[in-house]
Amino acid sequence: MTREGMSARLKNFPSWGFVSGRLSVLEERFAGKDFFTALIALENLGDVVPHLQDTFLREYLAPGTAWEDFSSLADRCLHETALSIRAECPSSIPVDLFLLPHDYLNLKCALLRETVSPFPRGVFHEELLQAVAHGEHGDLPETLRQGEGWSVTDMAQIDPVDLDIILDGAYMRHLIMLSSAMDSELMAGYMHERIQAHIVTVFWRAAKQHFPFRRFQQHLLPMGEFTALINDLAGQGNPELWPAMVGGGVGDVLSEALEKENGEQVAGFTLKMANRLMGRAKEGRLQTAGPERVFSFMAGMSAEMANLKLVVSGRLSRIERGLLRQRLREGYV
Amino acid sequence: MTPELIEVGRGLAYAGAGLAFGLAGSGSAWGIAIASHQAAGVMREKPELFGRMLVMIALPGTQGFYGFIAAILMMTQTGLIGGSVLKISLGTGIALFGVGLGCGIAQFVSAINQGNASAAGISLVARRPEAAGRAILFPAFVETYAVVALLATILFITFLTQPLPLEYLNLQ
Repeated sequence: MTREGMSARLKNFPSWGFVSGRLSVLEERFAGKDFFTALIALENLGDVVPHLQDTFLREYLAPGTAWEDFSSLADRCLHETALSIRAECPSSIPVDLFLLPHDYLNLKCALLRETVSPFPRGVFHEELLQAVAHGEHGDLPETLRQGEGWSVTDMAQIDPVDLDIILDGAYMRHLIMLSSAMDSELMAGYMHERIQAHIVTVFWRAAKQHFPFRRFQQHLLPMGEFTALINDLAGQGNPELWPAMVGGGVGDVLSEALEKENGEQVAGFTLKMANRLMGRAKEGRLQTAGPERVFSFMAGMSAEMANLKLVVSGRLSRIERGLLRQRLREGYV
Repeated sequence: MTPELIEVGRGLAYAGAGLAFGLAGSGSAWGIAIASHQAAGVMREKPELFGRMLVMIALPGTQGFYGFIAAILMMTQTGLIGGSVLKISLGTGIALFGVGLGCGIAQFVSAINQGNASAAGISLVARRPEAAGRAILFPAFVETYAVVALLATILFITFLTQPLPLEYLNLQ
C-alpha cells in the first residue's frame, strides 16, 4: 500500500476536532532523533535532566521535584497525558490500545493478590483490580475468560510462566476486539502487524529458553484470525522457517532479523518492528481531525517515552553510548 | 400564459431564493462548527492564539451572507420586496429556481470545505503561530469559488428578470 493511497482514505471527523486541535499544540513537544542523539552525546550527566524541559516531561521535572525512578516518572507522564486525551475523545479506543499493556500488568498483580497496582489505571478500573486482588473473579474481562487455558480454580497453583502466557493471550484478544470496533484501515493494519509481531516474539523467546511450544499454543488460543499462525509456529521449532509462515511485512522484518547475530536477533526484530509500526502510525498525522490522528499521536508518544527511558536511564546507568544510539526507536517527528 | 402558470413561475423563483439562503446558511453553520471544534482544542493548551485563529473560524460564515444576498436580490428583482410584482413565466421561474439551487449548493459545499481548510490551518497555527498569515490563505482560496458562485447568481438573476424578454412574451 502506498503512502498516498493510505492518506487519501483518511477522512476528517469534525467531532474529533477538539481533541485534534489540542494534539496540534502538544505535538510541538515531540523531540526529534537529533535531540536524543545530542542527549546521548552529553558529557556531563548532570546536564541530561535540564535538557528534558522541552519534552512532555517538563511538568514532571520542575526544579525541586523529587523523583527516584525515571521509568516510573515517564510511565506516569504517558498515562496521565493519555487519560487526559481520552477524556476528550468521542471514542476511547485509539487511546485504550496504548493503555492496555500496563493494564494487563496491573491485572496480573491483582491475580497474584497484590492490592497495589504498579501502573496507573487505564482500561481496568480500581474496583475491578481490588475485587480480583481479594479473590473475586466475577468481573474479569471476557478476553481472559475466553482463553483455553484459563481456569479460576487453578489460580492458587498456577505457574507464573503460564499466567504470563494466559495474560498475553487475553491482551492480544483485547487488542483484536478494540481495533475491530473502530472501522479504521490504518488502525486495523497497524494492530494486525503488532499482534503478528507479538506472537512471533513470544514464540521466539520461548524457543530461546527451550520452553515447550505446546504450552504456549494451549494458553494463547483462541486468537481469531491469528489462530492459524499460532498453530503453524507451534508446529515448527526452527525460526529460520517462520518468515514464510508469517508472510507480509512482518515476515520480511523477521527475515532481516534472522540475519543478525544470534544474541541480537529478538531485540533486533523488536526494534525493527517498532520502527515499522511507527512508520505506519505516522500516516495518521495527515488527518486534520479524527481517530487516526489520536492513534498516531499515542503511538508517537509511546515511542517518545520508550526513547526517553532508554536514553535517560541508560545514561544514568552509564550504558555504552553506541548501544543506546543503536536502540533508539523511530519517533513521531 | 395563464395566471396559474405565472403563479407556478413565481413559486419556483421564491423556492430557489429559499434554497439559496437555506443551504448557504446551513453550510456556514457547519463550516464554522468544524473550525471552532479545532480552535477550541488549540485554545485549551494555548489560549493566547485565539486572535490568530479568529479569522479562520469566521471565514466559513461568509457563505451564509452570500446566500442571503442572492435571496434578497431575487426578491427585489421580482418585485416581492419594494416594487411591482413581475409576471414570471414558467421557464423563467424554473431558471431562477435552478440559479437559487446552484448558488445554495456552491455555498453549502464551499462553506463545509472551507471549515475543513480552516481546521487544517488552525492545526498549522497551533504548531507554528508565526505561520498564521499563510495559514489564512488556504481557506481564503476556497472562498474564491463562493464569490464566483455569488457573482454568477447576481448576473443570472439580473438578466433573467430584465423587462425585455418579459415584454417579448407579452407578460409585462
